[in-house]
Amino acid sequence: MTLPALAIALPTGDTPTVELVPASRFTIEELVAAYNQTRVDYIVPMPMNAARLREYVRNYDVDLDRSFVARAGDQILGLAMLGVRPGHTWVTRLGVVPTQRRCGAGQMLMEQLVAQSRRLRASYVTLDVIKNNEPAHRLFLKLGFHEVRELMVIRRPPAIPSNDVLIPPYTVQDLSHRQATALLDQRRSAPSWLTENSSLINAGSLAALRIELESEGQGWIVYQKTVFQLGRLVLQTETGDPHQVCLALIHALHTRHPAMDTKSENLPVQDPHWPAMQALGYIESFRRIEMHLNLS
Amino acid sequence: MKTILLIEDYADSARLVIRTLKPYDYCVLHAPDGETGLMMAMEEIPDLILLDLGLPDVEGQTLASLIKGTPELSHVPIVAVTAWPPATARQMIEAYGCDGYISKPISPKAFPSQIAAYFDPEDDE
Repeated sequence: MTLPALAIALPTGDTPTVELVPASRFTIEELVAAYNQTRVDYIVPMPMNAARLREYVRNYDVDLDRSFVARAGDQILGLAMLGVRPGHTWVTRLGVVPTQRRCGAGQMLMEQLVAQSRRLRASYVTLDVIKNNEPAHRLFLKLGFHEVRELMVIRRPPAIPSNDVLIPPYTVQDLSHRQATALLDQRRSAPSWLTENSSLINAGSLAALRIELESEGQGWIVYQKTVFQLGRLVLQTETGDPHQVCLALIHALHTRHPAMDTKSENLPVQDPHWPAMQALGYIESFRRIEMHLNLS
Repeated sequence: MKTILLIEDYADSARLVIRTLKPYDYCVLHAPDGETGLMMAMEEIPDLILLDLGLPDVEGQTLASLIKGTPELSHVPIVAVTAWPPATARQMIEAYGCDGYISKPISPKAFPSQIAAYFDPEDDE
């Protein structure tokens, strides 16, 4: 589908006309270059290469026909992408190059993505903003978004679990990718876009462990294993104390993969498993604030 | 002459580091991403690695753990170059076995002495 560019004149007379061009009209390499330029001065820059952006678009159902690049003449000012899933959409990768900020390009991009979401009859738009990114947070509040919760990006360096932590005796069962996806269907926690089942299944390479404590307690963990990293952890306590169940799950995971670095995104701050994860070596990298805009 | 491997994706930051260290007696090698950085580290066995924690292909922390987990490289000091707030940077470098960190953007005035601190002045091989 060929989509038209939208030309929007900014209010001041000496500012060039800004047009919003569907991201699908650019190559992945052009989008990567633009995106990396917008993030160059971020505290958490999260640069990408073409392979990573392709993976990102696929994993998170980003619709490049409904994502936009803001351009003035030949100059790219910024971009914003839209993930599309049944009933809701997700704003991501919003950024404006440092020299072009405070000209309204970020707001134009946001308004366009919200308009796209309305056209899709989404009931709400979601996004995650890095905590302390005040300009972006202010913009989202101005556009009507409200805060839902705080999410943590957590990491654990490679290491065998410490003997200093008392782990309850347990038995463990290794489960396949297919069994892992079946467990996700039983999930009770409320995921963010990055951790929705669709994201995990799109990302692939899932595995799972199910544990049973000798005392009362059962639970499971689904995770992704790539060449260099474990990630995308989803934990669920079926019965018993979440702290004890989590100790056993995390112990089992890192005993199996002692040489793997681990990173998992968007664990809710209030997750009952977090204290046990910290006890076994997890640290918080940074926080995001999940925000929603209701459209219905 | 000491060899420093700089793993940094942002060209302007890399140029600044290279230019700042040019008057000093270092051989500075530059890798623009993590995969290239790991290959160059294996081939060159540098005396110091300057590691940007935000890389486009593999995260700096993951790369640090790979380098420290490689027997031929485990002795090479890694200095993270990062814009993280100091408390977070300290936590990350301790967790990932880095030997220190330098805040971004670097100060061209302070940077040479920050680098020299990782070398023994007596050890001038």
